[in-house]
Formats: sequence, C-alpha cells, structure tokens
Amino acid sequence: MIKEEYINNIIPHDSAYKHVDGSAEYTDDIIEPEQTLFGAIGWSKKAHAIIKKIDLKDVRLSEGVVSVFTYLDIPGKNDVGPVFDGDPIFAKKKVEFYGQPLFAVAATSIELARKAVLKAKINYKELRPIVTIKDSLEKKQTHFKVRKIKKGNALKKILKSENYLKGNFTTGSQEHFYLEGQSAFAIPKEDNNLLVYSSTQHPSEAQQLIAKMLKQKSNSITVLVRRIGGGFGGKETNFMTAAICSLLAFKTKRPVKLRLDRDDDIILTGKRHEFYSEYEVGFDNQGLINGLKLKLASNCGMSPDLSYAINERALLHIDNAYHLSDIEIENHLCKTNISTSTAFRGFGGNQGMMSIENIIDNISRHLNKDPSEIRKVNFYKNNTKNITHYGMKIEDNVIGDIFEKLIKSSDYKKRYAEVKKFNKKNKYKKKGIAITPVKFGISFTTLHLNQAGALVHIYTDGSIYLNHGGIEMGQGTHTKIAQLVSHSLGLSFEKVKISSTNTSKVPNTSASAASSTTDLNGAAALNAVNKIKNNLETFIKSKYKIFYNKEPIYKDEQIIFGNRTFNFFKIIKEAYLNRVSLSSTGFYKTPKIKFNKENFLGRPFLYFCYGASVSEVTIDTLTGENIVDRVDILHDAGKPINPALEIGQIEGGFIQGQGWLTIEEVKWKANGQITTFSPSTYKIPAVSDMPKKFNVEIYKDGKNKEKVVNKAKTTGEPPLMLAMSVFYAIKDAIASVENYKKIPSINAPATPEKILMSIKNLTKN
Amino acid sequence: MNTNKVQFLLNNKICELINPDPNQTLLNFIRTKLKKTGTKEGCAEGGCGACTVVVGELNNDQIVYKSINSCITFVTFLHGKQLLVVEDLINQDGSHHPVQQAMVRFHGSQCGFCTPGFVMSLFSMYKNHNSYNSDLIKDTISGNLCRCTGYRPIVDAAKSLNKVDFKDNFSKNKKKTVKILKKINSKNLSIINKDKKYFSPSTISELKKIIIRNPKSQFLNGGTDLSLIVTKERKDINTIINLKSIKELDFIKTNNNYIEVGSTTSLIKFENFILKYYPDFNSILKRYGSVQVRNVGSIGGNIATASPIGDTSPILLSLNAEIIIQSKVNKKNIPISKFFKGYRKTILKTGEFIYSIKIPIYKKNIFKAYKISKRFDDDISSVCASFNLEIINKKIKKIAIAFGGMAEIPKRATNCEKILKNKNLSLINFENVNKSLEKDFKPIDDMRATKNYRIEVAKNLLTKCFLEIESNKLIRLN
Repeated sequence: MIKEEYINNIIPHDSAYKHVDGSAEYTDDIIEPEQTLFGAIGWSKKAHAIIKKIDLKDVRLSEGVVSVFTYLDIPGKNDVGPVFDGDPIFAKKKVEFYGQPLFAVAATSIELARKAVLKAKINYKELRPIVTIKDSLEKKQTHFKVRKIKKGNALKKILKSENYLKGNFTTGSQEHFYLEGQSAFAIPKEDNNLLVYSSTQHPSEAQQLIAKMLKQKSNSITVLVRRIGGGFGGKETNFMTAAICSLLAFKTKRPVKLRLDRDDDIILTGKRHEFYSEYEVGFDNQGLINGLKLKLASNCGMSPDLSYAINERALLHIDNAYHLSDIEIENHLCKTNISTSTAFRGFGGNQGMMSIENIIDNISRHLNKDPSEIRKVNFYKNNTKNITHYGMKIEDNVIGDIFEKLIKSSDYKKRYAEVKKFNKKNKYKKKGIAITPVKFGISFTTLHLNQAGALVHIYTDGSIYLNHGGIEMGQGTHTKIAQLVSHSLGLSFEKVKISSTNTSKVPNTSASAASSTTDLNGAAALNAVNKIKNNLETFIKSKYKIFYNKEPIYKDEQIIFGNRTFNFFKIIKEAYLNRVSLSSTGFYKTPKIKFNKENFLGRPFLYFCYGASVSEVTIDTLTGENIVDRVDILHDAGKPINPALEIGQIEGGFIQGQGWLTIEEVKWKANGQITTFSPSTYKIPAVSDMPKKFNVEIYKDGKNKEKVVNKAKTTGEPPLMLAMSVFYAIKDAIASVENYKKIPSINAPATPEKILMSIKNLTKN
Repeated sequence: MNTNKVQFLLNNKICELINPDPNQTLLNFIRTKLKKTGTKEGCAEGGCGACTVVVGELNNDQIVYKSINSCITFVTFLHGKQLLVVEDLINQDGSHHPVQQAMVRFHGSQCGFCTPGFVMSLFSMYKNHNSYNSDLIKDTISGNLCRCTGYRPIVDAAKSLNKVDFKDNFSKNKKKTVKILKKINSKNLSIINKDKKYFSPSTISELKKIIIRNPKSQFLNGGTDLSLIVTKERKDINTIINLKSIKELDFIKTNNNYIEVGSTTSLIKFENFILKYYPDFNSILKRYGSVQVRNVGSIGGNIATASPIGDTSPILLSLNAEIIIQSKVNKKNIPISKFFKGYRKTILKTGEFIYSIKIPIYKKNIFKAYKISKRFDDDISSVCASFNLEIINKKIKKIAIAFGGMAEIPKRATNCEKILKNKNLSLINFENVNKSLEKDFKPIDDMRATKNYRIEVAKNLLTKCFLEIESNKLIRLN
C-alpha cells in the first residue's frame, strides 16, 4: 500500500542514509584491483614562460615510479578545451599559467607519485605575465572580438536625463571548493577500451575528449558517474584530470587512479570570472533609468573554455528584473595568465546582475531614496515594459508580487526605519538593510545543449531501473526524477532503482548545468515511461477488450481504466509473457527557444525564475568585521517536486553567494602565482557565517507557465543571487557612517578590509 | 617497558600495528589499510573537517570522545585509544545512530562528501554533553566545511538531539570498553620502520635519554602543524618524539599570583580553565581553530612553532608570561618576549623543550584581546591584539600591548607603551599613539590582508580598547 504521494512531497535525498554512514561511494572510494597505479601531475611554476629544458630523470628514478609521460606520449589530440581549443593536456613549449600541467607520473602509491613529481628540473625563460583585467585591456589581450550590443539610443537618453552618474565596479573571482576534489579512476579493458570513473558534471564530453586524445572512437570509452561531491560548475569542464588519468591507464595498461590534492585542485583548475564594469547612466527624479552605457570586462584566464557563453549570460542578465529601454554595452573577454576561468553557479548571470544592482543602489543614494523604491520603479511590468533588451517578451513575471509579499513578511519598512534610528545612536556599530530581486533565465543559451535522454526498464518483478544523463552532485536530481517516474507509474519511490550516469546507457548527454538537469532529464525519463505505458496499455486494451478513450490512472500499484483495475505487478508479468517491450529510451528537447547570437535577439530562455531577499547586517566601523543578523527569502520554485530539496538549494545557494560577495577572495601575485590555494588561505563560509535569523520560504503561488515537469521551476543557480542583498546591506551600513549623504565605493567581495577602507575613503573626502 | 606495537581499539576490537610507518597519517591508514572509505580527505591540512574521526580516551573511568582531523594525525596517535569512524556508528542490526538519523531527518546532507565529518563531530558532542545549545553546536562544527547546505539543516539536526533520550550502543558497552582500554593502555612506544623512528616516552627522564640518543629528532606536541611537513611538503620526518605521552607535562597549576600550564596541555583544556581569569583569552582560543585542532593542539606547541600568527603568543606577551625551558641539565625561566628570535625561530637549542608556561594573574588589571580575520570561525588572524593595563585614578600605571600578524614574530608595541605609560586615560592620548604604532610595526601585504589594513586595524583596536574601558562595555559583534 502506498500511504504517501511521492510527488510534491518531502522525502530525503535518495542517498541520505548512505551519506551519513559513509557507504555512499565517490570516485576515490572505489576499491582498486591489485595492479592499480596512482597518478600525480607535474606542473609549471611560472605563469608565462618558454620551457627551455625539462629534465625528468630524477622523477623516473624516484621510488615507486612506473612511468612518466609528457605531451609526446599523447597519441591523438593534446587538448581538452570544451567548445574551443586552447587547453593543452600537457604544455609543449610554452606555459600560460602557474599550475599548467607539464607531465604526469604513474607510481605504486599516491604518496610516491606525489613525491616524484616534485623532483623535476625545469628551466624556464620567463615572459611577462598579464594577470589583471586592467593590464589585459591595456595590452588588448582578449579571447574574442569585443562584443557590442545596442538597443535604442542610450547616449541620447542619458544626455536628456535629469540625473547622471558614472562609475566602475568589480566583483571578484571565486573558488568552487567542492569538498570532493577532481578525481578519476581509469581501467583498461580489451580492444584498448577504457572504463573511466570520473568526478565530472559532463561525462559525455569527458568521453569524447578522452577518445580524441587517444585517437580512438567514442564507443571505446565508457564514463561512469554515480555521484560527485559537489560541482558548482567546477566539474562542467576541467577535463584534465580524467584525460591524464586515462592516458596513464592507456599507456601503462594498468588501472590508474588520479586524485588532485586540495592545493593542486585549486592551483590547476579554473574559477569564477572576475568582472569589471564601467557605467554611465541617465535617470529621472523618480530613479527610472532612461539610458545606460556599460563596458563589461571579465578575466577569462589563459583559454576560452566556456567564457564566451558565460559572458553572454552576463549580457543577458544585465537587466536583472529591470526594464532597460535604451542601452549600449560592450563586452571584453580578457585573456590573462591565470588558470582558465570557468563555469560557476550563476554562470555570468550573477556578475551581470551585480553590475546593475550597483547602479540602482547608487541611483537611490544619489536621490536619497529607499533603494527598494528605485528597484520597484524600474521593474519589468506585466503588460507594458515587458520586452527585454534582447527582444524576449516576459510572460511569467511575478517579481512585483514576490517583492511586495516579502516587504510585508520581512517587515522591511519598519526595519528600514529602525536601522536608521540605530545608526543615529551608534558610532562604532552600524546597521544596514537591503532588499534585492532575482530574475534568472532558464535554458542553455547554446541551443543544441537543451536536449536530454533517459533509459527506463521495468523488470518482470515490476521493479524499475532508471537511468538518465543527469549528474547527482548534491542537488537531488536523481531523487526528484525517481519521484517523477514513480508517481507516473503509481508506485512507491523505493520501487525505482537509481543508477550511475553512464555514457553507454544514455549517449550524447549535456552537462548537468544551467540549472536544467531535472527539467531536461526528468522530461526525458517521463518520455521513456510514457512509451512503456503505451505498450502496456495497448496490450491491456487488446487482451481485455477495453474500449476506454481517456488516459488510465496509475495509482497505488494499480492501473485503472474507468471501472477496470489491474494490479501493476501482475500485469507486468503478463505483459512479459505476451512479449510486450518493457524497456524504453526517452528523449526531450526544450521547446520554443531560439536565439540569434549575431544580432543578440530572440528567446534564449524557456522561462524565468524569480526570488527576492532582505538582509540586515551589522558592521564594526573600527575593524570592518561584520555579521549577518537576519535574512528573509521568498523564492519561486514553481510547483516544487520535493520542497525539502528545493529549500536546501535555496539556502545553500544563498550562503555560497554570500561567500562570493563577502569573505571569499582569490588572490594572485603580480607574477601570476595564486596565493589562496588551501582552506587556511581561502575561506568559504563556515557555520558562524550563517545569518542569525534565516527565514526561507517558497513562493506559494508559484507555478511554471511553461510545459516543465510537474510545473516546477529549478532552484539550481537562481538562489545564489539572492545573496546580493547582503552586499548592499553592507554598503548601506557603510553609507550610514556619513549619514547617507555620500555614495560609498566598495567592490565585491566586501571583506572586513574592504569595508574598513571604504569607510576610511568615505570619511576622508 | 617499551613496545613496537601500536595497540588500540578499532571500535570494539583490539588491533595491533607492529612498527608502523611513523609518517603514515591516520586518514591514510583508515582508507587504505582498513579499507573504510567513509572518512574523506578534503584538504590534508585540518582545515575542512571531512576527515573527522573520533577517538575515545580514558579519563579515570570515563571515556572522553574527542573529534580529531585524521588527515593531520599520525597513526601512532591511536596507541592506547579507541578509534571510531563513521561506519562504526551503525548498529549491528543495520539501524543508524541518533546523530545519523537526525542528519537524514533534517536533510543535513546534499552532495554528502562532508557529511561523515559532520556526523563524527556531532557524535563527539552528543557523547560528551547532555544538552546542546547553539553556541556549543556552532563550536562543535566550526571546523567542518559544507559547500552545499549553508549549515542551517545541520544545526537543526544537532538541536534535535536534545530530544533523544535513550542510550546508544556506546553507552551500553561502556563498562566493557573501559575495561579493554585499561588493559591496552600502558607501554611506551619505540618504533623503528626502515630509516624512521618514533618514540613516546611517559616520563621526562625517559625523554631526556631519548633526546641524547636522537639529537636530530622532531618533537610532536599535538602535531597540527608538524604533520604538514608530510601532508603538504611531502617530506619525511625521520625521528619523532611524542611529548604528549608525558603525563608530567600535562597539567595546570595555580596559586594566587600565577597560573602554570604544562607544555602539552591541550588548547581545549586550557581555554576552559582560563575563562574565569581572562575571558578574552578564552574567546580567542575558541577562534584559534576548530574543536578538532584544539583537542590535540597544545599550548607549548603553539608557542614553539613561533608562527607570527599563532594567537596565544601576543596574549602571553601582553601578560608577561614566562616560558620554562627544560634542557638536559636544568630548567630555566625566560620571559616570552625573549623567546622568539625570528620568523618561526625560537631560542630553543637542540634537545631543549618547553616544560611549561607561567602566566601572571593580574587581579586589578584590565585585560583585552581582539582577533581580526576574514572569517569568524577557524581562520588565521590578519591582526591579533592584546592589551594589559593597570589603571589607577584614570591614569595608566602599567601597560603592555602586543600584536600578532604585524611583524615576523609576535611582538610588543614598545613605543606605544612608552608614550601611554603614566598618561591619563583619554581618547586623545590613545589616538595620539597611533603614529608610534607605525614605528613599532612594519607589517607586510599577504593573502590575508594588506599592510595598510593591518596598520589601520591595529590603530583602531587601540581606540576600541580605550572605548571599551571608558564605557565599561564591550563593542563586539559576537
């Protein structure tokens, strides 16, 4: 008997018990066969240099070393760039970032392998490295041509406006700091085939790149992923670990495990793009933006990787929830000598949104008005002012309603006044409050990625085997898709077996990214289920002579055709004996979307996610230390499949965003060497950073207008941007030091140091 | 009696390791030898808590359950103790421990990689306390990083343990466990593994003999710093002498005038003791590092590493503490201001070690200490400041100010002190010494802070100290 509905319901993550007792298996936990070797990567100690000589004699002679390989040992293509080339597996003559792989060893233990790589002797001829956006812009070192977008006549509108502001703003980089570092385990099979376990968000691309590296066909490589210990975009590309591991296994003909330790992981792999913007804005006395000119530059690192798409998403989110009638943007993709910047939750959208939020905040301070009012004035409206700067009509706008509801539920107005009162009485402790909106577009902006596949079997005992292209990285996609499948078949959740993502079961998958994993793969899984249901229903109708035009109901282990009811398990057995197919693939492609990258027009997104948050903070004006006193969130998750998991995404995303905007600071020396590469030097939020009061709610009127599984809305990336209110609350507190008469200047992340220096600058002038 | 066998309880079974590699980490042993892969490596430096395990230690007839970072602990640490890893919490019938159940019920895991570490930290809290308030919970997991959840569900899971009112299996088996632990806990370790040696003497006189025979050895006094030579620099430590096994060095004595702390006293034990004397000392020790680090890290170890950012040193400097150094022949008292010679260098000569630290008790003085870092929990100070003032009739009679993070060694602000001495307690006087701070310190830029910020904060902390004294209130965020 089924007592619970398994959809729209709270059930624990499918692996929750395995997480808490340690039986959940990650790549490095797989027990090795006896002959297994362990890999380590030797990498460049210079950010920009010609390799004059590379002497690996001592490496080869080091205890336990079986083999050492360089680019000369790669049979096929020496590049793991995802869309564009530019990421050599091993550098040939030139190194372009501190940490670039030069060679790798396979040894009898991981300790011996790691000791061995330190024994390389490399002579470099140093070249001048470019590290910062500023330097890159000056030297005109970019990856692509400058991209320009124009809608209306921004300059004219700015000149005609009653008010004018200009300025610049930076948001910093961010290290993914997934708790499980990059790791892979490659096992050679007959016919030069390889079975590769990899901690990746994108097994299909790993498969293709490994095949190309080995000059083999994709059908000779199988990539398997049961789960990964966090991804956040950091495992969407970054294929070097899987590739090098596979090369070592291929060459030595032995199983090889390769796991980067934390330092190497941070040094070798890419991070979030730092963004720099310069703006000129014209606005009226109500704060309505008339025209905006913006220069947007990002630090893309040494190779293109996904930077084109990330910058594109920044451009597509420069509006956040605001109608911008006349804008002109130019976008520079800076090439620098740091590890290649890559995907990270938000994928440029958050950086674009921070730019406009900074402008809106400055407008309110210039007009001396409550920023929440200026935000409302500029919101997209429902019937007018609903076309984005890229020509998409917004049909599902709920930001106004969410904003109003949150202002009420968080008591924003009253607290806004109380904060001001508090600040009048206190000199060394200052409070700040801010409310910020989020509108985030859902779909890959690259059309062909918006497809997914699934494979569903029903065995003769009625148990279900589910496989799809999505990666479980903590978000609970396997749980949610199993819920969809079990609900569709009228079975309990436990009847569905969740299995490893496997390139030999579902081919040509897209990365688990762009917040779309459950939307895409869930729909594909349901498509597979529907095909099997079709087979079953045809069989039942013909065998039992049922003339029933409506869709039968699958519920409580029964299939109900009006007044005729069939036990699911009995009918499955019967169907098998009558030679009915009980297995099917499924497929899904996102409808409606179309985007012209040349003229920057179209509908890149199927739908938008909305949310808003209010943050209240206290800062110490003597030290810059700060504390988040209270956060209220109202977030649109559509009709959530599993509210507990969505809440988890909202809270976790928020804290990750808070980290990005407050304490997480990636630093490089002028010579390109990264100095924040371990938890002792790079601080992600810990338990005390959690807001003291944390009220999180899912928008009760949420419902996806588009045909999306369960009418849900994804909660993958959008909640990260809810944390913008923390940053603007800090800025609000700083502004209070000069009684809100001056506009503070502060860039993200707002570390204690930046806060104190901002206060100092504000009071100095 | 010496032995070359590390003897310990693996949950409830006696295990023996004969001459194990003294450089092998406990994490490595658990994952590759025990083949228990629930315990994870997240950073190999004790900074993320993914590798947290619990060791049971006898304290009279009680078992104290300490959470530790297995990634920066050598396997020899297990000698005479009980090891519990996440898999050990499952009951024989396959059911889960209350801590594990709470984590599931409150959705405390997402990707699950950090989860075993959280479970073990919470397990130690569950075993060592009877009720669990927010402060205790936050302290318990301040050294466990989670990148997915944002911590709220984990804190809620921990709070729910207040409602669990039955004995777990470890309580039921306590008598038996105590009995076995008593049986295995006696002999000194003397290990030789190829070119590596490890000794754990139980008395100072034994220690002296070992030092004479092994002059080039490294002292292990907790090892949260020393172990990084192996896990980060990938070098071997050939001879290790464990001081922690010497009971004579683990003590806190006090009379009316001073507190004397034995070198190997754990930071967690010391912080609880010092609370009633110097509350700010206690709060900074709590932020010095995670519970896992404070459980094994020692006060002597923190001083002997002479790190410019070790948080105990500036405090002890301002309190005019004395270091009692033991050599082969005698003991000598050195003021801590003379102890540090340079970046990570002390006056300790080969064979000498810290016996204890003597901290004066200033009953009439005002003592204040501040730690400034990017993150509140488990972070290294950008600046650590400590003030010790005797004020009579609003006049500063005696003053000692010390800073960490401002120079290559923790140092007194002697110029400031000179100016402020015998001055009236006033804001102007405090702000006037700001300039002289720049004479006292030439801090550097690094990944934690710029020199400008360090100087600025140091000046402001002087102001803050004055403001707090004057208003008799704390101006703190926490």
